Amino acid sequence: MNRTLEHILPRVQKPARYTGGEYNAVVKDRRKVDVRYALCFPDTYEIGMSNLGMRILYGVMNEMEGVWCERVFAPWGDMEEEMRREGILLYGLESGDSIADFDLIGFSLGYEMAYTNVLNMLDLAGLSLRSEERDSLTPIVVAGGTCAYNPEPLAPIVDLFVLGEGEEVSQEIIHLYRKAREECWSKEEFLAAAAQIGGVYVPSLYEVSYQADGTLAEVIPQEGAPAIVTKRIVQDFDKSYFPVKTIIPSTEIVHDRVMLEVFRGCIRGCRFCQAGYAYRPVRSRSPETLLRQGIEACKDSGYQEMTLSSLSTSDYRPLEHLCDGLLEWCEPNKVSLSLPSLRADNFSLGLMERVQHVRKSGLTFAPEAGTQRLRDAINKNVTEEDLLRSCRTAFSGGWSSVKLYFMLGLPTETDEDVLGIADLAEKVYKAWKEVTPNPKRGVNITVSTAWFVPKPHTAFQWEPQITMEEYLRRVKLLREHMRGRSIRYNWHDSQTSFLEAVLARGDRRVADVIETAWRDGAKFDAWSEYFDFDRWMAAFESCGVDPAFYANRSREKDERFPWDVTSVGVSKAFLWRERERAYEAVITPDCRVQCTGCGANKLHVGGKCDA
Amino acid sequence: MHRLAFSKADTAKFISHLDLMRTFQRAFLRAGIAIKHTEGFNPHAFVSIPLPLSVGFSSSCEVLECQVLNTPLEEVPQRMNAALPAGITVQRCYDGGRPVKELAYVNYIVTLEYETGAPFGAESAIQNLLSRPALVVEKRSKKAKSGKVEVDLIPLIARATVEEGRDTIAMDLVLKAQNPGLNPELLLTAIRANCPDAAPDYASIHRRAVLNPQFQPWA
Ligand code: SF4
Repeated sequence: MNRTLEHILPRVQKPARYTGGEYNAVVKDRRKVDVRYALCFPDTYEIGMSNLGMRILYGVMNEMEGVWCERVFAPWGDMEEEMRREGILLYGLESGDSIADFDLIGFSLGYEMAYTNVLNMLDLAGLSLRSEERDSLTPIVVAGGTCAYNPEPLAPIVDLFVLGEGEEVSQEIIHLYRKAREECWSKEEFLAAAAQIGGVYVPSLYEVSYQADGTLAEVIPQEGAPAIVTKRIVQDFDKSYFPVKTIIPSTEIVHDRVMLEVFRGCIRGCRFCQAGYAYRPVRSRSPETLLRQGIEACKDSGYQEMTLSSLSTSDYRPLEHLCDGLLEWCEPNKVSLSLPSLRADNFSLGLMERVQHVRKSGLTFAPEAGTQRLRDAINKNVTEEDLLRSCRTAFSGGWSSVKLYFMLGLPTETDEDVLGIADLAEKVYKAWKEVTPNPKRGVNITVSTAWFVPKPHTAFQWEPQITMEEYLRRVKLLREHMRGRSIRYNWHDSQTSFLEAVLARGDRRVADVIETAWRDGAKFDAWSEYFDFDRWMAAFESCGVDPAFYANRSREKDERFPWDVTSVGVSKAFLWRERERAYEAVITPDCRVQCTGCGANKLHVGGKCDA
Repeated sequence: MHRLAFSKADTAKFISHLDLMRTFQRAFLRAGIAIKHTEGFNPHAFVSIPLPLSVGFSSSCEVLECQVLNTPLEEVPQRMNAALPAGITVQRCYDGGRPVKELAYVNYIVTLEYETGAPFGAESAIQNLLSRPALVVEKRSKKAKSGKVEVDLIPLIARATVEEGRDTIAMDLVLKAQNPGLNPELLLTAIRANCPDAAPDYASIHRRAVLNPQFQPWA
């Protein structure tokens, strides 16, 4: 261990997150590797280590001969201060070597509020922030993850974006990088060649111009770069890499358990949900594969908790069969199984009882909207009856705590819809009273509302976010109508959601704002300890950028969006149709009932979805 | 009851006591070594570390108690070492041993490091400090109303030798282990408070041995 590091660690909180050395951390011989990759997560160790995507890419790249992939997380403020004072550059956890000398630096972008951490980490690594200021081939700064579907706010920072699932394309980039180094290419030559790899977007190869009204005019690709970069998917998900052997942190992390990935994509098509569109089409693993992976992962990790992690786990057809198989092994081995994201409409008593047999955790439902009309408008196909039936089932089984999640500010929402949330909570309470076997114990109903943020590549990408005043008025309205001691109401802080709305649909001009905010001290914006709204407003002001232009503006049907240079496989025409149906409150059937022609089938080699 | 003798060094120094217990519980499972579970509503593998080590200290004499069920004891070290994080090494696994209440003293090596060399007179200043008839420091306490108590360190120090090296001063200390024990951090606090000129830029603390009331190794 580095001696300076050893000296500063006793002074910081939770030092174990800065040491590496965990079980299964991959340590290679420096002399036997020719490509060093820094896999960066722009948030804390505890959050980054809970990310399954990080673990997959770490495994995939370390299986490559001659490649050493190491993890890097954002140091918390106290550690950053010590590092800057002692002159320690950001380092890979496995080797302790400074990442400035690595070949590739890849960021996983899961949420917009982590953007300032990307800048901060580059700075802590001793690198220039802007792509154009880093002129050598080494290091290349890569970024992927959900936020890469609108890469523009970080376009001047990142050298290349990877769209979609990274398992294959990461390897292709490394192969090309090796070739570039052997043949002494310049960075520009490498980037031009990389732009020919499917799923790779190189922002410096696109010339962007704006109209007088501030909207995009033209985006002109250079040097043969594709006009639209389509995301990559893994074709054979059943056979694709799963990290059975993975790092087990020596300190507690957020998701400290085995995470089984049951499927990718979602059959549903909720109109507000970026993940639902962006991860299409649905591909699943066979129960046999999952059973094997689950048992092996438990044995190798020593974890005593397993969870099925996917967008809408209960849509997995052989779910009961899979749970039976897993429980048969889990119960005698004292491993508890949990199923997150169960939908209210197919929540079955049988399944619940068997899962609960091992451990009873709280129930959560996400009706998202308070009235059937609005739920139809957003295509959240859950009826009040479904929800109440599921609640009754749960309550009569002895459960006494339910969390209900909603959004405020969805397109077409009226006060009636807002008050519908209070009504629904009240009905859930009545359902509990009717069926509970232990009325004396009471019930906890928690209602949470978030402020809706319109996202790229969704049916609501044209929609304005309601203003902050309006959001707070609706919160107040709802709060005044929430009755009863058993119902608790939480609402999400509005300032971060507003900023998220700006960053999510931002263009290249927003990059200056991000940099200005960072220079003024912004980092860890997802953390209330650090987030400072006024600092951001000052940054918008000094860059002459109007945040309302991005957050609160209603877009024309044919406006060219900054993210139109990327494609998730779902066509813009389909999304517009979905938007129109939302305004008519007409639902669209899920992919299993009927294919509605979103276009994502073309991502399959055979052109056919198997929902 | 069985005991595992292990060392904790390098990166593992920064694993906290609670995290270390959890790490061992998982490592037993990874190694396929069954150990006895607690009874009750939420049974879990029973492990206990009689004398927790502070975060940042290294040690070559840690002990963990548990009940190994299905594995020959001589196989335990090798299988555990393959399942533990870097820096934790199990040396042996044995049956029984002396009761925890006989664990009377701990031998620490405290190395005081000075970036510009050990200051003149620092060694004797520390010597003098340790030979005072009483050395009272304030210590944080959850029990006391004020949140602080005063402790005299001298009765808790059984032996101490101080030796000057090139850029360091090494203290070889035998301190009371429990009821009450003395954490060498408190001695550093006393040095910083009473002879600030001898205060080190950095101190590393190593636990070298645990001893019985007769100053013989306790195991
Ligand atoms: S092409 Fe059809 S089945 Fe496939 S994801 Fe789109 S709507 Fe669903």
